[in-house]
Amino acid sequence: MATISVTKSPARARAFEISADEAKRLPWLLLTPGLIALAVVVAFPMLYSFYLSFTNYDLTRPTTEFIGLQNYIKLFSNATFWQAFGRTVLFMTLAVNLEFLIGLGIAQLMAKALLGRGLLRTVLMMPMMFAPVLVGFQFKWFFNDQVGLVNNLLYTITGQPHIIPWLVQVPLGFISILVAEIWMGVPFMVIILEAGILSLPTEPFEAAEVDGASGWQKFRHLTFPMIGPFIYTAMAIRSLDLARVYDVVSIMTGGGPGTRTELIWTYVYRLAFTGHDYATGSAMSYVTVIVSFLFTFFLFRNVIRSRWEGRE
Amino acid sequence: MSNKKMTRRDFLKYAGLASGAAMAASVMGTLPAAAAEAGEQPSWLQFPHIQKKEFEGVTVRMLAISGANYDELYKIIPEWEEQTGAKVEFVFKGDGFQTDKRLVQDFAAGTVDYDVCWDHSSFFSQYVKADGLEPLDNWFTEEELADFIPRLVDATRRDGHLWVIPRHFDISCMHYRTDLMSADQVPETWDQFKELAKQLTDPAQGIYGTQFAGKEEALSGRFYEVLIAEGGQLFDEKWEPVFNSPAGVKAASMFAELYAAGAMPPGMTSFVWEDVAKNFAAGIIAIYSEWYGWYSFFQDPSSSKVAGKFDLARQPMGDGKIHSGWAGHHGFSITKASQNKAAAASLIKWLTSVKGNELEAKLGFLVARQSVWDKIIKEAETSPDPLAKKRLELALLQAQEDFKTPPLIAEWLPMSNILYPILQQIILGDVEPQKGLDDAAQQVRDMMAKAGYYGTGA
Repeated sequence: MATISVTKSPARARAFEISADEAKRLPWLLLTPGLIALAVVVAFPMLYSFYLSFTNYDLTRPTTEFIGLQNYIKLFSNATFWQAFGRTVLFMTLAVNLEFLIGLGIAQLMAKALLGRGLLRTVLMMPMMFAPVLVGFQFKWFFNDQVGLVNNLLYTITGQPHIIPWLVQVPLGFISILVAEIWMGVPFMVIILEAGILSLPTEPFEAAEVDGASGWQKFRHLTFPMIGPFIYTAMAIRSLDLARVYDVVSIMTGGGPGTRTELIWTYVYRLAFTGHDYATGSAMSYVTVIVSFLFTFFLFRNVIRSRWEGRE
Repeated sequence: MSNKKMTRRDFLKYAGLASGAAMAASVMGTLPAAAAEAGEQPSWLQFPHIQKKEFEGVTVRMLAISGANYDELYKIIPEWEEQTGAKVEFVFKGDGFQTDKRLVQDFAAGTVDYDVCWDHSSFFSQYVKADGLEPLDNWFTEEELADFIPRLVDATRRDGHLWVIPRHFDISCMHYRTDLMSADQVPETWDQFKELAKQLTDPAQGIYGTQFAGKEEALSGRFYEVLIAEGGQLFDEKWEPVFNSPAGVKAASMFAELYAAGAMPPGMTSFVWEDVAKNFAAGIIAIYSEWYGWYSFFQDPSSSKVAGKFDLARQPMGDGKIHSGWAGHHGFSITKASQNKAAAASLIKWLTSVKGNELEAKLGFLVARQSVWDKIIKEAETSPDPLAKKRLELALLQAQEDFKTPPLIAEWLPMSNILYPILQQIILGDVEPQKGLDDAAQQVRDMMAKAGYYGTGA
């Protein structure tokens, strides 16, 4: 029988031998605890909720029946769901891109800062230290029509009382939660993009300098393409974060009033957790997760592509 | 026989005691003779009948509501433990919504490992539907229930059984500013209320005529009580949703009209209970429906600008000539899974006894026992608070005549979840009242059909 000799360290000089079959099994053996944990924590709940989406499961009902595709069929004709879905996509698109633009601007400035970069970085990271629920409460107060900071600020500036119902009017409610989410997300973008900018080689920039390239040209043709992998990674991670945004919206508007700021997860929560309709909630979640998966797949494909382009 | 002579003072003392006993006996004419002869209190005031150490070694596990003043009642538990020999263990404490969530999940998952649970007249139907509760008919006699305000007990009778023993309740009541309007302006109908609210709105002074809690069950419940007053119903006898009736449209239109007229704060659709109470305390609201539970907060000058400047009134009527009176009560139930039902019943009797009710009445709760009400109303006559007696008498009157819970079905909260976003849309003018309510009625019907209310053919 063929054997494989594994020597751990010449210093210890302690070797043990395993057969080729054992060598094949070893990785699986080592992976087993992780796989079991994954199965219990992720796979089983996902499969179970997938099963639930084909039933009429209701927490308060003792019996559950299999109803086939009924939940999915109903879902496709549910206008509220599709409005919430569209609003979520719009929210994600706006938030990710605005966070990216603001983050890139700040990262560029920070990369050029000669003094106090560490301090700046620490201050910038502060929003990341707050729980989203707290951020929600903070911005809910900022935008409160009666005692909120924003209306009071307007009063101080103009001398006229402004009772603007920020969290009620269209599109102010949507914009208010967008501002809160961007405030939370920009530091992450800054950290990643700044790391990308600082890791760039200096030679291409020096060559461009010799060729008389302007600051914009250097940014447009060197910095931006070269930090592509960082951009896609940061955007992919934030997109995933935003695809499941719930806390801030729930605290600030609860998806309302009416359905004016309803996003997918506030709607799913209202339906499943307070309405006990876990079956329809599961169906909604699956449709959303599949779309999120496609979105992430698209982003990661671009990450990989940009990485290869970077190597070429 | 003693030859000791009776002094004049002794004679007067015994004569006084005898005449006092005779008077007491005449007052207690309905008492069992033996009890009256023994000079005992009526049996319904002596609850619970505890035999010494009858539950020695038993541990009663309890899931309880907590926060605010709810925990004060639990301070009488050690006395019950001492007398019965049992122990009480709290397995969970949380606010009402957390406790409800825990109960729903435990009943669904079959993980109930407690004997006594907090319960509520608006929520208990879910637990009954999940087959999680023990009917209490066999554990509480009619005599033991006789002292409870009947509407409170009836509010948790369902499917021919009693499921919850009431602890304390709350009911909507009109709160109005006495410095902005006089008592003879108090509206008797919702139509009058609407006009008055518009009239009292004064943007220059930052005064809004009225407000309502504008989301979740708080909004659905307010709509429900106006709907009932206007002669409407949420469901017909076959559980078909009928709130899109003319009465429903009138009720929903009132909210929308008040909002459009600027008679309510623009952010009202995000208000919950705390927000509306704080607004009233801040002095920006002239008249609105509120729970009695906030009374001490409003009367405290350190937290309220309207302390001493407001009064209370019965909820208005509508076209149905019915007073609004959305109400609910907290209470206790025994779980079906309980292994110690007798001890659990004994503990509930103790917590809802006269002793427990008196303790909670002192904290400002509106308690469930008539005898305690009689006592506190009498005591309020000497209170320095000018509203003390009126408040209690009004609350008792409402409890006796206007107490209306939402439908006793498990689908109340799911229904509310469908209804309130549409009511918000109606209030904000995003949808016409009739169209919005028709849409809500259809969604509620779908939900009820799914829940099996119309058979398989629905």
